[in-house]
Amino acid sequence: MLGYIFRKFLFNNSLKSKDKYMNENTDTAGSNGDPLSSDLDKNLAVIKEILRDSSDVTFHEFNFGHDRRFKGALVFINSLADKEEINKNILQPLLYDSLMLHNTVDMDFTQIDTISRNILSVTDYLKVNLLSSLLDNLLAGSAILLIHGSNEALAVRLGKGKSRSIEEPGTEVVVRGPREGFIEDVSVNIALIRRKIKDTDLCVERFVMGDKSKTDVYIVYIRSLVNPKLIEEIRRRLNRVKIEAILESGYIEQYIEDSPGSIFPTVSNCEKPDKVAAKILEGRAAILVDGTPFVLVVPMVFIESFQSVEDYYARPFFVSIIRIIRFLSYIISTLGPAIYVALTVFHQELIPTQLLISIAEGRERVPFPAILEAFLMLFAFDLLREAGVRLPKPVGQTVGIVGAIVLGQASVEAGLISPIMVIVVSATAIASFAVPAQTDSGTVLRYIYLALAGIAGGFGIIMGLLATLLHLASLRSFGTPYLWPVVPLNLAGLKDVFFRMPLWSMTKRPTAITWDDGDPYNQGPGLMPSPNTQDNSDSQ
Amino acid sequence: MRKKTCLSMVKLVLYFFMMLTLSGCLGAREINDLEIVIGMGVDKGEGGQISLTAQIVNVSSSGGGPSSSGGGGEGKPFWNVSSKGDSIFEAVRQITHMTGNRLFISHNQAVIFGNDIAAEGLQKYLDFFLRAHEMRPTALILVAEDKASDVMDAKPETEKYPALNIAKLVETYGFTSHLYKVNMKDFASSLMSGTTAQIAPLLSIVKEEESEDIYVSGMVVFKDGKMVGKLNHDEARGLLWVLGKVESGVLDVSLPDGKGKAILEIMKAKGQVTPVMEDDKIAFQIKIKAETSLSEQTTTENLATNEMFEKIQEASAEIIHQEIMAAFDKSKEFNADIFGFGEMLHKKYSEQWKKIEKNWDEIYPTIQLNINAETKIIKTDLLKKPVSPKKEEK
Repeated sequence: MLGYIFRKFLFNNSLKSKDKYMNENTDTAGSNGDPLSSDLDKNLAVIKEILRDSSDVTFHEFNFGHDRRFKGALVFINSLADKEEINKNILQPLLYDSLMLHNTVDMDFTQIDTISRNILSVTDYLKVNLLSSLLDNLLAGSAILLIHGSNEALAVRLGKGKSRSIEEPGTEVVVRGPREGFIEDVSVNIALIRRKIKDTDLCVERFVMGDKSKTDVYIVYIRSLVNPKLIEEIRRRLNRVKIEAILESGYIEQYIEDSPGSIFPTVSNCEKPDKVAAKILEGRAAILVDGTPFVLVVPMVFIESFQSVEDYYARPFFVSIIRIIRFLSYIISTLGPAIYVALTVFHQELIPTQLLISIAEGRERVPFPAILEAFLMLFAFDLLREAGVRLPKPVGQTVGIVGAIVLGQASVEAGLISPIMVIVVSATAIASFAVPAQTDSGTVLRYIYLALAGIAGGFGIIMGLLATLLHLASLRSFGTPYLWPVVPLNLAGLKDVFFRMPLWSMTKRPTAITWDDGDPYNQGPGLMPSPNTQDNSDSQ
Repeated sequence: MRKKTCLSMVKLVLYFFMMLTLSGCLGAREINDLEIVIGMGVDKGEGGQISLTAQIVNVSSSGGGPSSSGGGGEGKPFWNVSSKGDSIFEAVRQITHMTGNRLFISHNQAVIFGNDIAAEGLQKYLDFFLRAHEMRPTALILVAEDKASDVMDAKPETEKYPALNIAKLVETYGFTSHLYKVNMKDFASSLMSGTTAQIAPLLSIVKEEESEDIYVSGMVVFKDGKMVGKLNHDEARGLLWVLGKVESGVLDVSLPDGKGKAILEIMKAKGQVTPVMEDDKIAFQIKIKAETSLSEQTTTENLATNEMFEKIQEASAEIIHQEIMAAFDKSKEFNADIFGFGEMLHKKYSEQWKKIEKNWDEIYPTIQLNINAETKIIKTDLLKKPVSPKKEEK
């Protein structure tokens, strides 16, 4: 319901700015759309004119062939291209290796194809004939080979830019499981997924998005498992996005999500290849964006937030307890302060007598109403967390200690805050870290519920919960109900919600994600392990 | 389109607003503004007025809080405030002159009536306690042997608050089954039944040099809300046997040969009452089944033999029989149907009941009780035989 109001509000605002942007967009795109000319000097002059203020562009003109009658030029950006490789694989073959051909062999080196097929020792190249695509490739790090007399150019992608090595991700640390995480280089990320799923059906579709950033965006999915409509819908939504730059996958997330007005995320993100692979194998699609280790996965369901990769690597019994603890901690993190305020301000008769007396003792010198006290403490906690995250690690610890002493102890001793409120807020704070995927929504809900509890007590909380439930039930993520498999109820899906059943019993893929009438099984039947009695009798 | 959404938005806000304002749930009170009442006493004051004593938790001096460095008041953890009024409600509101805050009586554990109030009749004093929306129907009713305010002043040694201590005394009746807890709701419903007499625990004070201790000395019997007499501990248990409320307790059995005693602990007890009506003769079949364990013996003889068990069981059944008859005799003396026999008849012989209901007071002393008590010793706890010098065993 809140999302509904929010959406209406946003919709009204966005109408005006739209048209303006569309016009601007078409203007800038038009000038670079010209075809290349066959005159080398002319081409170079045009490129130089466009990149006139960029000092790191190298234009290298040279002559080659037996009698050096062919003219060519290499254009590349110093900071992106690997000069050694250019020398070894482009210049050297053109200038010297071509001489080894018998001079009776008369080749027309004004044809780009002839060069790429006979001379160059490179594999990753692209023929371009438009100025715009030439510039795109140049700026993406390719070395451009222009030949006098050809109206085509060769964009050779050489080497790799410098990238971070694969490390354990900071956000999703596991005790058991692979330690690798995605990095900023998208080609490495795709490789990480390919290494997990060596299947011919694994598709990697490329998009280039952002008028200025020209960011590589990939959709990765398994053709035989995914619902074609899902891919169709992702393509449609991605193509809709006409923005200047995509600096992180969060940009895409906010342009393609189903309910921009909702406080709940409908696109999940993660940093671990094994998690993404598992989701792809369930029939989802991953969206990889160059320049960020965070990979988007759609569709997302609410329950996913309570599942962790490790749940499937550990044996099911302990995991089931942890699952329940996660659900409880989400409830505590959203409702903890609200329930405390509702009980102490509205429903004192519900508190056991002895507890009421000790609460009253603790609050005796507190001058603020409970609701204000709760808001102050929550504000202080969020302040501490924000300050601690942004600061460098050694200083961050200091903030924690100062915060704990000042807020936890001094404020209680000064009689500003009651000790029970400190306990409630600390419990809330700890609980909020147990479900990382819903920390954002939990924080917002916590303040909303607290306000409602302050206004109308338990009644207010119930109203808030009902509104949240209605909203959650109405959410969709790329066609999948957000509360699946609880609403709508799906018994096979429930095996992985409140309890995690053994892997050999979870034989079906999530139906609300694949929507597939075909083979829903991800494993053969009857895989429950048991000692093979037959074998034993044979051996004896 | 836009107009429509605007309208629905307005509607939505209106709904929320109405839900908030019309539900009548808005009653925020900070804990600091509450005077938490944990017990109330009602006495007769001068000139026919009611003297009400409320036991309020004294938060600031009860210690334990983190602010113990400041203040440091050595006062009592509770505060007994008294006021007078023509009605209980008036007296309750009068108290605010002394407390400054309204009394919060949701946590009232016990309402204690003074002896003079009980003798006059509780009925008219109960109305407020049943009607007040904050009051719990599970609050206990007790009667003080003398003045309720005296009982509430006696500070217990281990418990901080007298009222909570009194409530605990009654709540744990099961250890002896010598008394029974009676709350507002029970009392009111037996008051409304017409024939059943009401009971309530009786609080007495033992004075020992400087300290005063509270104990439950028995049960008070009411007839139509007026106190008519008392039951001692054994009689009270006789009543509980019939009502099936005996949880545990001690049976003190003298051995037939007069050599000592066997002390049994009641582990489990069941009581079943069936009314029998034949030609205007009314009898009640009372079947008691109890399981006990041998908890203590004062002889050196080994009692854990089949013959001895049978003797002890027989003797203990006889004790139960006597207790029930003692209670019944007392109730005949008061002519108060504490067992609720009238209601049992009503359920089984509803037609005939209509005729005899009016004369129940005359009929009650004439009814017959056929008591069939059975006990069984199911264990001897940790010992198989008594600890005794070896030579005597031979």
